Amino acid sequence: MSSQGEKFEKRRLRGSYASTIVSISLVLFMLGLLGFIALHGKILSDYAKEKIELMVLLKENQKEADILQFKKSLDVMPAVKSAEYITKQQAAEVFAKSENDDFIGILDFNPLPASINLHLHAQFTTPSNIAKLKRDILKNDMVKEIAFDKTLVGSMNDNLETISLVLLIFCGLLFIISIALINNTIRLALHSKRFLIKTMQLVGATGSFIRRPFIETGIVNGILASVIASGLLAGVIYLGQKEIPDLIEIELQNAVLFGSLFGIIFVLGILISWFSTYLAVRKYLRLHSDDLY
Amino acid sequence: MANLIHLEKVTIYQSGNSILADVSIEMEPGEFVYLIGKTGSGKSSLLKTLYAELPIVEGIGVIANFNLNTLKRKEVPMLRRKLGVVFQDFQLLTDRNVYNNLLFVLKATGWKNKTEIDARIKEAFDKVGMWEKRNKMPHELSGGEQQKVAIARALLNHPEIILADEPTGNLDPDISDDIMQLLFEISKAGCAVLMATHNYQLLEKYPSRILKCEDHKVIDSKIQSNAEPTESEAILAADHGPDPVIDQDILPANDSEPPMSSEEYILSND
Repeated sequence: MSSQGEKFEKRRLRGSYASTIVSISLVLFMLGLLGFIALHGKILSDYAKEKIELMVLLKENQKEADILQFKKSLDVMPAVKSAEYITKQQAAEVFAKSENDDFIGILDFNPLPASINLHLHAQFTTPSNIAKLKRDILKNDMVKEIAFDKTLVGSMNDNLETISLVLLIFCGLLFIISIALINNTIRLALHSKRFLIKTMQLVGATGSFIRRPFIETGIVNGILASVIASGLLAGVIYLGQKEIPDLIEIELQNAVLFGSLFGIIFVLGILISWFSTYLAVRKYLRLHSDDLY
Repeated sequence: MANLIHLEKVTIYQSGNSILADVSIEMEPGEFVYLIGKTGSGKSSLLKTLYAELPIVEGIGVIANFNLNTLKRKEVPMLRRKLGVVFQDFQLLTDRNVYNNLLFVLKATGWKNKTEIDARIKEAFDKVGMWEKRNKMPHELSGGEQQKVAIARALLNHPEIILADEPTGNLDPDISDDIMQLLFEISKAGCAVLMATHNYQLLEKYPSRILKCEDHKVIDSKIQSNAEPTESEAILAADHGPDPVIDQDILPANDSEPPMSSEEYILSND
């Protein structure tokens, strides 16, 4: 029972839906891009934080086996990502290489202590956590002292905190804006249907019966918009990787993280479209006929 | 049998202003009743009250066994399935052909069986003589044809009463005649019709009981004609326009069975 006129009407409807879908997908794309930058910022900051080196300098004349035992005990600490044993000999070699100076030849002995170099997990690199860790490690008799770049840790933490706070606020703002925008777009699209909705009510259709086809279209539009947004985002990331190859390595390590970003865009697109359609139709369902004009 | 419409001392408000006060109306099954009055006199508001688009603030209202005072939002669709509503501007669903317009109503009211649906739609279209045009879009039809479709739509669920808000208001006189005869036939078949109009020629041509909205009141020709029959007769005979008093039942003797009067009228007219 589909006449030519009906087909024309459907084509026209698709036209009006297209603009809704484009608006939703652009907003989702912006949201996704910001999410990507935020995620990326976290990965970069984690990367930097885990580069911080904590040198546990050991007293002279420790037994090799004891040192290895101690290293193992450090390795299992939750804060420690990796521990590396540097012998006196190795320390001297590193120093000689960096200073370009054969000081052992001059001094005739090696003044550098053996050490265990620790890299920490990103979330444990706050100054207070490091101080606590230091206290714990210093309890061991083998330890002479612990060295790390205190100012670097402090300033890095401060900077990263500011940056992530700004990003978070930005993300939140954009999220609210996007909901308002999508809501508005859908509301406008449905505004043109208000008389149709009123007529449906007058012939005895229940609210849920009237709502159903609108919500179905809303969900489909949400899915389409999410697909478009994900495609755009994937394209931008792909191009970005081509320009800045360093991105690739970090991205591959965090496939799950970025996968969930796409997942969130998808779910968000559907939910926002669904919920906005629901609200808009409900508004027109409750409106009296005189308020429609 | 209980009255189809029972309004008792109802006051009707439209956005805070009282439009009609102290309205008391009874209407029986199968009756054909006109609702007349000047623009803004409250005809549409009264109809809106009856199909639960406007709430009753004061007074008691019952229509088709639904109590309008206690009607919940969820029950409004159930009430509307017992009513057929016809408008001056037809109010068809403009995004689908007229067959699907009727299909929507049946689907919305819970019909599932395809053959039953098809049969019921054909029955309604046949009543108004529009089956041949079922695949047209509303905008491809003339005003009279659209109104016939709207009437077919109103008839779909075999309503107890059709509320028609100036159904001939947008139509030329010949087509109006068609629509009027259709509505009279419908009331003959047992479905009451309450029709708002300001086309006084129709009242003369198709006489029946009249309700007049004037000065915030509804005056009933049935009650009036019992009290002062001569005056109401004179009014109907008089020319239309801003007439002072009221209208009437053309056959006062048939007061108990107004639909009969219309039936006889049509028969004699044929």
